[in-house]
Amino acid sequence: MGSNSLHVLKGINFSVKEGELVAIMGSSGSGKSTLLNILGMLDELDEGSYTLDGVPIKNLNETKAAQYRNKFLGFIFQSFNLINYKSAAENVALPLYYQKVGRKERHEKAIKYLEQVGLKQWSSHLPSELSGGQKQRVAIARAMAAEPKVLLADEPTGALDSKTSYEVMDLIQKINDAGNTILIVTHEPDIADMCKRIVHLKDGVIVEDKVVEQVRAQQYV
Amino acid sequence: MFDRDIWQEIIYSIKNNKLRTFLTGFSVGWGIFILVLLLASVNGMQNGFYLQFNDDATNSIFIRSGNTTKAYGGFEANRKIQYKNDDIEYIKKSFPEDLEYISARYYANTVARYKSETGSYNIQAVQPEYQIIEKTIVTKGRYINENDINSKSKVAVIGRKVKEDLFNTEEAIGEFVEFNGLPFRVIGIFTDDGDDNAERSIYAPLSTFQGIYGNTDNIDNIALTYNPNYSLTKALAFSNRLENLFKRRYKVSPEDQSGVRVWNYAEAFSDISSFTGVLNVIGIAVGLLILIAGIVGIGNIMVFTVKERTKEIGIRKALGAEPGQIIKLVILESVFITAMSGFIGLFFAWVILAIVGPNIQSPAFANPSVDFSVVFTATVILIVAGVFAGLIPAMKAANIKPIVALRDK
Repeated sequence: MGSNSLHVLKGINFSVKEGELVAIMGSSGSGKSTLLNILGMLDELDEGSYTLDGVPIKNLNETKAAQYRNKFLGFIFQSFNLINYKSAAENVALPLYYQKVGRKERHEKAIKYLEQVGLKQWSSHLPSELSGGQKQRVAIARAMAAEPKVLLADEPTGALDSKTSYEVMDLIQKINDAGNTILIVTHEPDIADMCKRIVHLKDGVIVEDKVVEQVRAQQYV
Repeated sequence: MFDRDIWQEIIYSIKNNKLRTFLTGFSVGWGIFILVLLLASVNGMQNGFYLQFNDDATNSIFIRSGNTTKAYGGFEANRKIQYKNDDIEYIKKSFPEDLEYISARYYANTVARYKSETGSYNIQAVQPEYQIIEKTIVTKGRYINENDINSKSKVAVIGRKVKEDLFNTEEAIGEFVEFNGLPFRVIGIFTDDGDDNAERSIYAPLSTFQGIYGNTDNIDNIALTYNPNYSLTKALAFSNRLENLFKRRYKVSPEDQSGVRVWNYAEAFSDISSFTGVLNVIGIAVGLLILIAGIVGIGNIMVFTVKERTKEIGIRKALGAEPGQIIKLVILESVFITAMSGFIGLFFAWVILAIVGPNIQSPAFANPSVDFSVVFTATVILIVAGVFAGLIPAMKAANIKPIVALRDK
């Protein structure tokens, strides 16, 4: 935006293998959100390259970017970002709608994923009738509905109390156990410790990239 | 287009902005309402005009004479032009292709008397074909025929009013009426759609009156109809040829407007057509201008809707909505609101026309209505208008960057 460019990320070289659960940590201004936006194809990189599942991601027009996002990525946001006039099932089915999946199949899949996050009986409820933790679980179901290559979570527990946070982390860990690749941006060390690898960003560079012993969230639930 | 999800969203959006949608929808409905009423009014005027003119055959031409105003061909100005019987034969011979019916007219005034009743009337001494040119409806008896002309019979076809004045309820056919002391047998009674005055006149054979009034072959003017298949241009060309011929025949300057006067119905008709045509254009223009105000209103609420839903559109884009799908959503909503309110306006206009239309009976206004093509055009206009109203907001929506929309903090 604007004519002044500000280099937020200054030479980052890192790769994530399939099945990893990576926490990206850093204080505000460290560039962690920018990194996530680039990974999420919400922002474009000016230098360097980004390859996702063998596909080079560059010079995408809006339509192409939308298709790639739909196919490759699932987003989980701090503020859930559910559409408030759609039921839980309809929210989960939305990415499938953009894949032009038929209405019936969409609904079946949505129910399946809601069941995975333990909210099957809430499928016809509106987001306003759900608690924060439930909303985030619906959002996770939505992110998974399109069966993406990577789940990107931006402070997924930022708006939740610690008990609910652990419940959500427990869910994320289970999804990861099933073989899904997940990247989590967080500034909470306890959340980061529940991942398998922690990448520390500071002023746009990686200062630390370590594999950690995963703390299971199950024990706090 | 018939995607349930899209309609669900449109209905949600309208439900959430009921008042705003109603107010702007109202302006579009109002625009269409006025457009239709204006067009219907112009149509009513047109019908009224045609009804007025329908009295005579619409393909008729009248050739009249007067005094010349210019010296020409060795004659001084202010010469009276007098047509004669042989002018009729001359036209018949000169324009066998163009001519349909022709009749000379000779005018006289008379005091008519039957028993003790008297009255003063115009007599038009004519030839049999005049009945068709004037569209005279004979309700009883018959019109003048060739026999009457050949034998110079003293017969008369009288108007309904004349019959009422002189005969009251008595039988008139076969009775003798005195015109200036001469007995004429009544052979027919006629009515006229045009007006009551026309029914206060009398038709008699041309030859009879020419004989009575000085054994002349003078005629006052000539009425004729041309080939009914002629287009307006062809009809005007024909009347021009007639005029030129008569001016040459009577040695009247081509620039002289008063010696020979040819009056073509088609000309008057075309004037009215262009007049109502102009009114039509004005009606459409005014209606469209009002409609534009409504369309801008729709565009306005769409801009607001998009602004309010910025975040939601951002979420959708993050989930994989393509710009085209977002544009479709916004435009469809706009078209839906525009079309719905337009149809409501159309419906109300139609109801008013159906109730009021048949009750208006004034000479210059009859049966105001809009035909299917107007309704169809209005529908197309509405849909196109809806697309235009939605276009800018839709582009705006499509350009929303998910990264901006999703900024929580």
